[in-house]
Amino acid sequence: MSAEVLMPARLRFGDMARVASVGVRTRRVRAALSALGIAIGVAAMVAVLGLSASSQAGLLAEIDKLGTNLLTVANGTTVLGRNQELPLAAPAMIRRVAPVTAVADTGRVDVNAYRSPLIPSIHTNALDVQAAALNLLPTVGTTVAEGRWLNAATATKPVCVLGAAAAQRLGIDLVLPGERIWIEHRWFYVVGILEPAVLVPQIDASILVGYPAAATYLSFDGHPTEIYVRSVTDQTAAVHDVLGATANPAHPDGVKVSKPSDALVARAQAKGALTGLFLGLGAVALLVGGVGVANIMVISVLERRSEIGLRRALGATKGQIRAQFLSEAVLLSVAGGATGVGLGVAATAVYASTKHWAIAVPTLAWAGGLGAALAIGAVAGLLPALRAARLSPTDALRTV
Amino acid sequence: MTPPVLELDHVTKTYPGDPPLEVLHAVNLAIEEGELVAVVGPSGSGKSTLLSIMGTLDRPTSGTVRVTGIDIAGLEDRQLSALRATRIGFVFQQFFLSEHESVLDNVAEGLLYAGVPRWERQQRAAEALDRVGLGHRTQHRPTKISGGERQRVAIARALAGRPAIVLADEPTGNLDSSSGAAIVAMLEELNDDGATIVVITHDHDVAACFPRRIEILDGSIVGER
Repeated sequence: MSAEVLMPARLRFGDMARVASVGVRTRRVRAALSALGIAIGVAAMVAVLGLSASSQAGLLAEIDKLGTNLLTVANGTTVLGRNQELPLAAPAMIRRVAPVTAVADTGRVDVNAYRSPLIPSIHTNALDVQAAALNLLPTVGTTVAEGRWLNAATATKPVCVLGAAAAQRLGIDLVLPGERIWIEHRWFYVVGILEPAVLVPQIDASILVGYPAAATYLSFDGHPTEIYVRSVTDQTAAVHDVLGATANPAHPDGVKVSKPSDALVARAQAKGALTGLFLGLGAVALLVGGVGVANIMVISVLERRSEIGLRRALGATKGQIRAQFLSEAVLLSVAGGATGVGLGVAATAVYASTKHWAIAVPTLAWAGGLGAALAIGAVAGLLPALRAARLSPTDALRTV
Repeated sequence: MTPPVLELDHVTKTYPGDPPLEVLHAVNLAIEEGELVAVVGPSGSGKSTLLSIMGTLDRPTSGTVRVTGIDIAGLEDRQLSALRATRIGFVFQQFFLSEHESVLDNVAEGLLYAGVPRWERQQRAAEALDRVGLGHRTQHRPTKISGGERQRVAIARALAGRPAIVLADEPTGNLDSSSGAAIVAMLEELNDDGATIVVITHDHDVAACFPRRIEILDGSIVGER
């Protein structure tokens, strides 16, 4: 027979897998512990990404529920820096724009509100007093938490409704008969407290009174400062473009038009930036896990010299020995990675369900976690595998 | 005419060092098919080095080694591995059995690198275990059987691939005398069936049982009977 026929046989995939798992099967506790390091790192990363994605999804769902068709018109400033009042007719003119479905306005009254006349006037609590249209609540998407909203009758009387933050700052959490606050040398009776208005938080720190009451008791000039506009959702952009000219045809550039939901979406997305730190910590854990796997593989090669020698005597090539230890390291690491993905997804699911968020785990998170585990296993196993393959068969067999 | 199964021609082995240590001096040796040979010598005589070179686990410093007529000097490491996988079987003093696998799987592992599919490995392993009289112990772990039985498992592993030659390094070294005698008897029996077997031992009583004995001392062959 000639030398040309001597070609080492390739190991079949199943045989390779069996050979690669020898170390894992024979030293289970050790394998589990070294895989655990990888699992913790991957779990941390998957959980961080999953939680941030789920909380974002939850926030966006909430914003969608509140509606993305709300636009806010506010008075801006003139080129000289003075306040540019919105015309008295602005709400009515906006209502005539075809796709607009609802318009509600508020006008800031330049007075302060106090719990009682005994409070020093400097303690304003950063509260605004605003005159409000009667259809304000459905337009901005909030409801009454306690008591009642204004009606046509109470809008003419010294009666007010508190925004959520305003009620907290005044120390009023229940609407009791006779509850009143001190505004501009006069008692105003509190009839209701609002839920937080997520889309327009400026309502929260406000004390709302009727337009007629503001004119009668607070010498309010009737100019709206903010106009909330709901329109047909797919026409919102078109409405946005015409609102400036419609609200104040004389000075359209003195009108600020904004879409509050956009700001919220931007904030929801910006929140993701905070996860960078935790992601970094997860990566460090993963790296430490990789060092653990490398450590175990180095020890494994030292301990299994006689196995290496035997396999070489049975006809294993250097390449087959190298492949065995390399795939053992990858196997350990990927098993850890898969466990980590499972743990991370479970953590996300548990937390998201307590918060009633949709469970969202980005593909990048789980695929990236597995990929990182694979890469780390390959890197960690490379050196030990090369050492195992370099071992001469006689040296390997001599050790008992 | 078929070439000898194993042929050593003026083989020397020198280990590097200061001064370099020559442990084999121009050894000439030929083993024909069907032979049962004992290489006997005290410890330090160069037996182990000789076994490594005969088994192609190590290369000679000079001289020629031919296995089934193939000169190993021209072979790269991959081809040497393939040669060992298909033509040489090893039996070691320490058995080298995996404690975590059954006797059958241990024997089947001997065929792994010859590219035999798994079901066939298992089948041939069972046959080899039958030949060494352990057909009833296939599912036992090596830790649950006696030393003599372990060495028979190791012999079955070496035989399973039907190699051209089986090299046994002190096969009775870790066994008591009666188990050792049983192993020697088994090797004779396997030889009668056609296996070519070389046994390396320091024990003259063991060597006395074999039809051909090669005595080695200080790296040279000093006698043959």
